[in-house]
Amino acid sequence: MRRSNRSKILSILAVMGPGLLTSLAGNDAGGIATYSNAGATYGYGQLWTVPLMCLLLVVVQETSARMGCATGKGFASLIRERFGIRVSALAMLALVVSNFAVTLSEFAGIASGLGIFGVPVVYSVPVAALLTWILVMSGSYRRVEKILLAISCIFVTYIVAGVLAKPDWGSALTATVVPQMSFDPGYVSLLVANVGTTISPYMIFMVASNVVEKKLDAGDIAGQRADNVSGAVVAEVITWFIMLATGTVLFPAGIVVNDAADAARALEPLAGAYAGAMFAVGLVGASFLAACVLPGITASAVCEAFGWERGNDCTWQEAPVYKGLITGITLVSAAIILVPGMDLFGIMMAAQVINGILLPVLLVCLVLIASDRHIMGEHANGRVWNALTWFTVVAVIVLTVVMFAFQLMGA
Amino acid sequence: MIYLSQILGKPVIDVDGERLGTIDDLGIATGEVFPRVTSLAFRDRGHDPLMISWGKYVGSYDENEVRLRVKAVDIRFSYLQPDEVLLARDILNKQIVDTHGMRVVRVNDLKLSDTSSTQLRLLGAEVGVRGILRSLSPGLERMVLSMGRALGHPIPERIIAWSYMDLVERDLSNVKLSVSHKTLDELHPADIADIIEQLDPRLRGQVFAQLDDEQRAGAIAELEGDDAAELVGSMSEQEASRMLQEMDPDDAAELVGELDYERAEKLLKLMGVKEETAIRQLLGYPDDTAGRIMTQEVVLLPEDACVSDAIEKMRGLDEDFEAVRYVYTADDEDRLSGVVSLDRLIVADPETKLSDLATHELVTASPDEDQEDVANDIAKYNLLAMPVVDDNGHLLGAVTVDDALDVMEDEHEEDLQIAGAGRSSEGTEELPLRDLRWALRRELWFFFWMVGVAVLWAVLQGTRGGTFALVDALLMAAALPVALIVADDSVDYVTNFYLEHDPNAENTPSYLGFGIKSAGIGLVLGVLILAFAAAVVSMVSSGQALGEITSAIMSGFVASAVSVLVSFLLCVAYLRVLRRRDERNKETSGIALACVAMAVALFLFVLVACLAPALV
Repeated sequence: MRRSNRSKILSILAVMGPGLLTSLAGNDAGGIATYSNAGATYGYGQLWTVPLMCLLLVVVQETSARMGCATGKGFASLIRERFGIRVSALAMLALVVSNFAVTLSEFAGIASGLGIFGVPVVYSVPVAALLTWILVMSGSYRRVEKILLAISCIFVTYIVAGVLAKPDWGSALTATVVPQMSFDPGYVSLLVANVGTTISPYMIFMVASNVVEKKLDAGDIAGQRADNVSGAVVAEVITWFIMLATGTVLFPAGIVVNDAADAARALEPLAGAYAGAMFAVGLVGASFLAACVLPGITASAVCEAFGWERGNDCTWQEAPVYKGLITGITLVSAAIILVPGMDLFGIMMAAQVINGILLPVLLVCLVLIASDRHIMGEHANGRVWNALTWFTVVAVIVLTVVMFAFQLMGA
Repeated sequence: MIYLSQILGKPVIDVDGERLGTIDDLGIATGEVFPRVTSLAFRDRGHDPLMISWGKYVGSYDENEVRLRVKAVDIRFSYLQPDEVLLARDILNKQIVDTHGMRVVRVNDLKLSDTSSTQLRLLGAEVGVRGILRSLSPGLERMVLSMGRALGHPIPERIIAWSYMDLVERDLSNVKLSVSHKTLDELHPADIADIIEQLDPRLRGQVFAQLDDEQRAGAIAELEGDDAAELVGSMSEQEASRMLQEMDPDDAAELVGELDYERAEKLLKLMGVKEETAIRQLLGYPDDTAGRIMTQEVVLLPEDACVSDAIEKMRGLDEDFEAVRYVYTADDEDRLSGVVSLDRLIVADPETKLSDLATHELVTASPDEDQEDVANDIAKYNLLAMPVVDDNGHLLGAVTVDDALDVMEDEHEEDLQIAGAGRSSEGTEELPLRDLRWALRRELWFFFWMVGVAVLWAVLQGTRGGTFALVDALLMAAALPVALIVADDSVDYVTNFYLEHDPNAENTPSYLGFGIKSAGIGLVLGVLILAFAAAVVSMVSSGQALGEITSAIMSGFVASAVSVLVSFLLCVAYLRVLRRRDERNKETSGIALACVAMAVALFLFVLVACLAPALV
């Protein structure tokens, strides 16, 4: 009895992981930048987005995990088989552009994190690029994955920092429940970035491919659901506390977050003089992890869609596109960071905005596939789930259009 | 070729021209190597999916539309059969296992047979980058293709035949995919050969391996020599020798002649004694002679046999005996004495003696006679076969009209080559190379001109020195293009004459006649050039002290006149060379001949141009 209980727990734990991992990885350089920016600029003004994002995150992650379980295929395969080559080409273009932008932001994160320790960009970025490239190409990044994940868990300290900062709990909770809309262009574009970083395009691919790699089938859907919900909740709690801490410490002081050092100050109630160092370690760890994962996911998805060979076991000759994409994304994004006078924090923000804009393309594919009974069988989307996903799509599109409208008017 | 990506979404039109809907999918019967398209799925105006039988209702099709042969109201709809697979739904964009290459690939497009074949068939799945481009947009494919070609990297198609696909999809695993070769029975060997030629070399062997010996024998006889030899190379020795045994001895001999010596010997030894002797006898005759292509399977009877005997003998022939067109008769000493055509035999009274029916004015060939001559005679005398006899008049075999047609086709190709068009058969050369050769052939004179300027410059620099060597060289070379282009044209003149006039025909002018005629042309052209030059120089130099310049231009024109004259004088020699080489059955390239002519013209030009001032 005890034994079987234990093995049950173990099997759930074995299934758990992809969702948690992906959600935590979502709190990468771009995420931290966006959340601290939101807190510093608008105080508790965007706290209401957190529960909403949590719900959307659950919807999207659950759907893609379920897709992987029911079909045994990656998301790229499904797009290709359901919509044919033209839509696939469009979706892959969106993915490559968005992931390129995010990789760029990860290197920017590494650069600004190490910048706090006084390491110049000229050294930090080439070394980081080379290191990620070697780790990805040899496939051995899985070994350091856990370590990096542990490092990036440092952001859990935001919870403590948020508490120590003595926030106005009453108004914070009210702000969380009551949405407030501002038609300030900066506010809207931050909102788009917020969606883009929470529900990033690569996440959909990553969840599905994790499931497929573990060879999970329809019987594991329940376990996956638990995994995804818990992962999403943990990630969003951290997000909420980041916004709370920055909103409590930075907003009243009128500090505008322009670089990593500014954002680190939100940790001062907890870490005092070591706030910067702590923040930097977490930022570098999270960014490095994502920089390892992103090029591989992108190349893998593109090759899957077009039927080219992929995988780290292949030689350059067998899988030129796969290897070329990984190398290209890593090197080019690192090279762009090295251009003198780059606004690193700006790059991180911009990447999230691009993510938000391209997201609807992939979300539409997602919802159409997930509700197709020919593909999903009995695991197709129910009405509520469909409605939620469509709501996300429409919301993101509306936000994006509004953002561009403001930008145009501003210009 | 029709591709699935092109035909999807195209209109379905009934016999009255009414548009019924757009093509949605094609169903194939899975039990064949090249599966037939059996169903047409389309969507009507209301976007409802419908399915009809392809064989029953489709009248004609191309890549732009499918026309039915009935009215819309007469259509009865059908359902997908258990052994049918829908191309777009089940295969396009899906992953398949290339069971030969042992790799998983994605199907980017599906290649169907073209409209010339009677039935629409699936040739294979395109898994290469061209399929992706074409599905994105046919224009994009063309653009990338021509770019690739321009850069010298033609992008080949990558086709996997149906029999080498395995679908990864779980729910289709019940579909019968392993195909037995028997289903190819419906295809004519010539059609099989066509399909094989369309496939890339790796696939050819695979498909060929699916055929039985008889089909292989039929198909390989229809292939080009090089392709056939390559295929034999991919087969095991046992298989190859079995196939050769199946083939008509003349076709087999032709194929064995293409193989290298060792392999040919091995294969011959593995064959039955009868077939081996037959092939060896044929191989005993030199290349390009009648003996090489004759069949030894002829019906020969004594003169005093009657019609019923002949028919009796034909009834007893082997199944694979070469088609009988004539019955030959032999006299007491076994010499060929007459020939009876099949139609006369059929209408004649069974008791009639063959000698009464036979034609005794025989047109025969000797085994050493040139194939080309035999083919020409067959055409001239309207024969279906020409008997081949040895010096004593004994019948050895016959050259049939189909072999004669092959010879004429080859001959035609050789002629084209002499005329400078390059090889006419497609695919033997990469396209960019062919274009380049064409351009080279047209603009060849320019390269000679540049060489000429360089040589003149060097010579002038050496003899006179001075700063004006290059200017003088260029002035002289102004007339050089005339000499070079005329030399080139003189070769065209010779080759045209050669192709038009058979050396043995009665009305062909003699060498002397041809020589006088061409010399006359050269003389007239030379005088014209001189007159033109004199006119130009007198206009330019009137009253001015431009002696240096005019003398340079003038010597150039004198040189070109001389060279033009010589070019035409040499025409006789070129004609002689062409005919001699043809007699020895050597191929001659028109380009090479043109190069020789231009080189000679250039040499003469430089010589005269440099000596002329000294002489004047």
